[in-house]
Amino acid sequence: MKEKKHIDRLFQENFKDFEVTPNDAVWQNIDAKLNANKKKRRVTPIWWRYAGVAALLLLLFSLGNIYFNNDNLSNSNQISDTNSNPNNILQEEANQNKTKTTTNNNSANSPISIKNQENLIESVTNQTAISKTTNSNNPISNKNSSTNISSKQDSNYKSLLLDENNKTKPYQENKIANIKDDKSSLEVLKKENINTFNQKDSLLIAQNIEENNLPKNENLSDTQTLIEDVIADAKKDTEQKKLNKWSVTTNAAPIYFNSLGNGSSLGSEFSKNTKSSDITMSYGISASYAINNRVRVRSGVNKVNLGYNTNNVLIFETIGLNVSASTNKNINPNNMSGSVSIISGKVLSELNNRSLIQSSNTTINQSLGYIEVPLEIEYAIIDKKLRFNVIGGFSSLFLSNNSLFYNSNGERMRIGEATNLNKVSYSANFGLGFNYNLSKSFDFNLEPVFKYQINAFNSDTGNFNPYFIGIYTGIGFKF
Amino acid sequence: MGLKQLIENCKNNDTQAQSELYKLFSSKLFSVCLKYSRNTAEAEDNLQDAFLTIFEKIKQFKHKGSFEGWLKRITVNTVLQRYRKEKVFDIITDEIADDNNLDIEDNDVSIDYLLKIIQELPDRYRLVFNLYVLDGYSHNDIAQMLEINIGTSKSNLARARQILKKTIENYLTSQSLQSLQ
Repeated sequence: MKEKKHIDRLFQENFKDFEVTPNDAVWQNIDAKLNANKKKRRVTPIWWRYAGVAALLLLLFSLGNIYFNNDNLSNSNQISDTNSNPNNILQEEANQNKTKTTTNNNSANSPISIKNQENLIESVTNQTAISKTTNSNNPISNKNSSTNISSKQDSNYKSLLLDENNKTKPYQENKIANIKDDKSSLEVLKKENINTFNQKDSLLIAQNIEENNLPKNENLSDTQTLIEDVIADAKKDTEQKKLNKWSVTTNAAPIYFNSLGNGSSLGSEFSKNTKSSDITMSYGISASYAINNRVRVRSGVNKVNLGYNTNNVLIFETIGLNVSASTNKNINPNNMSGSVSIISGKVLSELNNRSLIQSSNTTINQSLGYIEVPLEIEYAIIDKKLRFNVIGGFSSLFLSNNSLFYNSNGERMRIGEATNLNKVSYSANFGLGFNYNLSKSFDFNLEPVFKYQINAFNSDTGNFNPYFIGIYTGIGFKF
Repeated sequence: MGLKQLIENCKNNDTQAQSELYKLFSSKLFSVCLKYSRNTAEAEDNLQDAFLTIFEKIKQFKHKGSFEGWLKRITVNTVLQRYRKEKVFDIITDEIADDNNLDIEDNDVSIDYLLKIIQELPDRYRLVFNLYVLDGYSHNDIAQMLEINIGTSKSNLARARQILKKTIENYLTSQSLQSLQ
């Protein structure tokens, strides 16, 4: 008859040195996922990018200021405005940076781990419940339970290790060496167990050892800190959701063009004329990149048309006469119509004190076209299905169309172009954005944006501070 | 290169070091996965997940305590996360007792066979048996890790032992019958 032994011992002995080399494919999978992670991680730190954007803004504005150094007061006002703006953004971003340092950690292993982590969150809530129920059975165990371990982990750890060493010293010197040589405390325990099994009454003793052993607590506290880590990660993850980094948006907007001051783009002599704005169109395409789930940087190309009417002018052709230099120096007449002079009806009537010509119904229409290249930052105040953004930035405006027309009694004729327009100008942009997620990859945008033009005119516009407001709408595609 | 240096390199996402670390520990950790999983394929999945977690969390390892122990705990945890939510219908076992009668003939049973019958245990029984018998966790620990009562842990262990014993006994009888023929 063969010897009998306890079933636990049979398994313990067999599995003592159990090692199996896994299939190569496992490492290949891991390697592939690690590489995918690395690619995502290897991006410039958030700070640098913000700093970069802010520095770029500052640089461009200050360069613009020096280059187009007009004596126009409004310019310097404007620049101090825009200087303060990127600073604010920077501060916001600094705060944000603190809270989201590890956002792009684990996007690659997401499907499984997120699921697991969700489980974990549930599990912790359960865990507290369970530790309560076990409380009645085992009051001591509760002390070690999840709530208070993380705070004193380090000191516990050290004392536990000491205890462990003290315990093993008396009877098994060589095991201390093992511990130091990176053998796991688990294995030591296993050996202890096996030794104890050699004696009779083995089960009881083993159980005692296992339930009172300090290294066990170490295990427990470790697994729990691990669990806590995972939970912390899971929270960050759910916060972050899955972020589509890039999006491309088409947009179209009705544009309302006007001036903050009384001046006239045609010249200061038209300052007192009544003016009105055409509602024109802007359309374009933009691409944006999400730095994190609250901040996006975007740029693009827009075509902007602006129209502006100066009412109540008198226009007459001066064929064969010298045009006096004092009139219309900002207007370069086109060849077809010969020399044209425009006089403000209002000024004339004041000069002559006559009401006869006070109400001329001739209007000068200034029609401008720009290619606009914006560089803007969106900051999401609300980040739900409906996103609510604050938008700030600037645009470079490249003049593409410059015409003056006169409208009189239904007649419309091009009379030339303005000479006081800069080929390149800027605008400071402030706006609000509403993005509604239509689906995972499409959203609908509505963005009223105020754009204050800087350096649009190079001389003599009176107090003409042009701005335009656009209600941009469009569909964005995220990927 | 010492283990410590290797760990530090892994913290810097050094691909070479990660590969080295995998070579060093994969077979030990794979054996853990095999014991705790239902079959080899799932064990491979679990090993992969465990290593991904390890490389992600290695920055948090501060060289306090055993590194291998740390690796094992992450691995066990990975497996537990997968299986502990899968409910076992707790069979109310009235015949838990019988602890005296758990001796078994010391026959040569291959480890492959033992592994196979462990894997075939219902999830919860398998986890409890592994944690308690092979990895030395207490019922108290197990109860917390699996979110069950201590009593449930004890009865699951008893059931697991009984199932294993019965399976081995049947296996041995059938083998001895075969050898007789």
